[in-house]
Amino acid sequence: MISEMQTGIQIGIYLVMALSVFAALAAVNLPNIFHAALAFIGTLLGIAGIFISLRADFLALAHILIYVGAVMTLVIFAIMLTQRLSDPNVRQHNNLSAPAFLGGLAFLTLMAKLIYTTPWPVKAAGTVPHVSVMDLGQALMTTYVFPFEVISVVLISALLGAIVIAKKDPL
Amino acid sequence: MDQIFVTLKSGILDQLGRFLPDWALVVHSVLISITAIAILGPVTMMYLTLLERKVVGRMQNRPGPNRVGKWGVLQPIADGIKMLTKEDIVPLRADGVLHFLAPVLIVMPALLVFAVIPFGRNMTPVNLNIGFLYFIAVSSTSAIPIFMASWGSRNKYALLGGMRVIAQMISYEVPMVLAAVPVLMLTGSLSTNDIVTAQSGWGGLQWFALTPWGFAGFIIFFLCGVAECNRSPFDLAEAESEIIAGFHTEYSGMKFALFYMAEFMNSFTVSAICTTLFLGGWQGPGFLPSWLWFFLKTYSLIFVMIWFRGTLPRFRIDQLMGLAWKLLLPMTLANILIAGFWHFTHGWIKIAGSIALVIASYEGLVRLNQRYTPEKRVYTFAE
Amino acid sequence: MIFGSGILKGMLVTLKNFTSSYFKGPDEGGLFTVQYPEKRLPEKENFRNFPFLVFDNTPDNLRCVACDICAKECPPKCIYIVREFDKEGRPLKRPATFDIDLTVCMNCGFCEEACPFDAIYMDHDFEIANADRHDKLLYHKDDLLKSNEYFRKIRPTNASAVDARRHEAEEKKKAAAAAVAAKAAAPKPTPPAAPNSPAA
Repeated sequence: MISEMQTGIQIGIYLVMALSVFAALAAVNLPNIFHAALAFIGTLLGIAGIFISLRADFLALAHILIYVGAVMTLVIFAIMLTQRLSDPNVRQHNNLSAPAFLGGLAFLTLMAKLIYTTPWPVKAAGTVPHVSVMDLGQALMTTYVFPFEVISVVLISALLGAIVIAKKDPL
Repeated sequence: MDQIFVTLKSGILDQLGRFLPDWALVVHSVLISITAIAILGPVTMMYLTLLERKVVGRMQNRPGPNRVGKWGVLQPIADGIKMLTKEDIVPLRADGVLHFLAPVLIVMPALLVFAVIPFGRNMTPVNLNIGFLYFIAVSSTSAIPIFMASWGSRNKYALLGGMRVIAQMISYEVPMVLAAVPVLMLTGSLSTNDIVTAQSGWGGLQWFALTPWGFAGFIIFFLCGVAECNRSPFDLAEAESEIIAGFHTEYSGMKFALFYMAEFMNSFTVSAICTTLFLGGWQGPGFLPSWLWFFLKTYSLIFVMIWFRGTLPRFRIDQLMGLAWKLLLPMTLANILIAGFWHFTHGWIKIAGSIALVIASYEGLVRLNQRYTPEKRVYTFAE
Repeated sequence: MIFGSGILKGMLVTLKNFTSSYFKGPDEGGLFTVQYPEKRLPEKENFRNFPFLVFDNTPDNLRCVACDICAKECPPKCIYIVREFDKEGRPLKRPATFDIDLTVCMNCGFCEEACPFDAIYMDHDFEIANADRHDKLLYHKDDLLKSNEYFRKIRPTNASAVDARRHEAEEKKKAAAAAVAAKAAAPKPTPPAAPNSPAA
């Protein structure tokens, strides 16, 4: 019985993965840029599903909150302000598509090489330690406090930059 | 009485357990919860429409709907039948798929949020240890279907309404989360269950809203919640007098009803989460069952929402943005600071320090929110 | 002056309205809506709606003489009158057909003003809603006929004035007839000039 459920869950995970790959392909290939953005949201949701299947609930929800809730909304907002939003005559490719393809391929091989050469610590099923939000917070405030602070400085400078750009008169 | 729904569910599961294997029982347990939520959501929405029409009517010296059934109790059913039988109109040049998908998708986050609401003692459908984050994450996705609706109907009013919704939702999400931060900070947990149990002192009356920082947080959270579900006075997205009906201008029949349903379920869930965070959830003196306390508090918050609608005129867009970014956001930040100070210091330092912080932040806010006075212009030709 | 006190004041106003709608009467700020089909406001005497034809005592005895003045006066031309003729083809002083198309009538009351015979008056009946606008809203003579008692009931002031005037005219006519008769009786009996001539 339990194994049946597990196969069911596994099928579900593969479905989610297939969905996110499909949505990613759609995001690249759809001629309508708004549809492409929506397909990209599908990809992000699929990735969140994969996180959930890896028991990283916090990461999954933070992913949804930040990427779907905030970043993609802003992306769509920006798309809305573009011209020729759903013009079917817009070309999908320009002259740089071949170098772009090569670059993507290079990145893919790099990632694949990294993934295959990294020794992944394999643990028996069921012994995955559950990382609580408290642990995450403590890690952020102790071990990783420097990158955390650097990120916050980057965000603050981005905010200030946005204000400076948006302000009409020089400060 | 307190555990009536819990016993009901376990009784059903016991009966099913006689002829079902264990794993099927797990599935059925989930299914029962889902069914309860799936019934609760639409029924809540139906009767909220009636409540809203009644209350707003009374505030305007009208009796409200009173024809269908005694006191109009069957009015929502009549409305539902009308909605179902209305013609479904799709604009000729609309984006068909998106136009169809948007009302379907907009109900999803509204319904999903119900999963983490503690309706009563032992009555949280899913006890997630990051329940509040779940609420924020899921409700933040409801901007996407609104965008789909506004873009898919190929209507300028819909597009304007959609843009307004998104601007509003992004802006108000920030102070909303920050207003809840003191609660999460002091509870040390994101789980809605833990937040409710943290307020169990004083015979179930030690609510966070009864502390100074909690009261401020409660007001800010509630205001942001009202803005999040696009209710009056923050209903610029559907401002009838300006942009017809905003993002659902081109919807009719059941699709329109779904938008309406999502809006009302959102106002229910926002009130419910507000109750959970600040009003002690299902905690209360023991003479009433816990779920009744929960619904009483939630419905009184909904009543306040309707009361707002019956009283206040609509904001202008710059006032709306100004309220979120220039008033509520600094207030929440100061509130976090004061909550920490209040909680981790003792004696006279606590009182004096908190008061000093309040005064300092008040001064800062007043200075920040000084009215902009444009410099005197000289017109050469218009005199 | 605290920040937001204006909002609180406004909210108190609506809350007062809300509570008074439950606990106070219509004159003290409570609900003043009258639930129409079950309860009605008393009709105002000067309310005027679609016209009707007045008859005295029996429906045969209607006041209308088919003079066609109202039909000519009617701005939207919603009155249609056909005079009745007797068997020899002589015109009678009564209408054979008197139709008013209520879908066209605009309730101006000019017919009432124009009628020299006090025959047509404006009614109080406004509940004429109907599913069939072609047949049911074209009122024929039988639909339009209503008794003088009804007129007296709905518009007592106007009706009594009209009745008094008619009574006076009647009296005058009788007196004139009596005078004529007396004059006729006093000298030598002469052949009656026109005994069958119409009295009106």
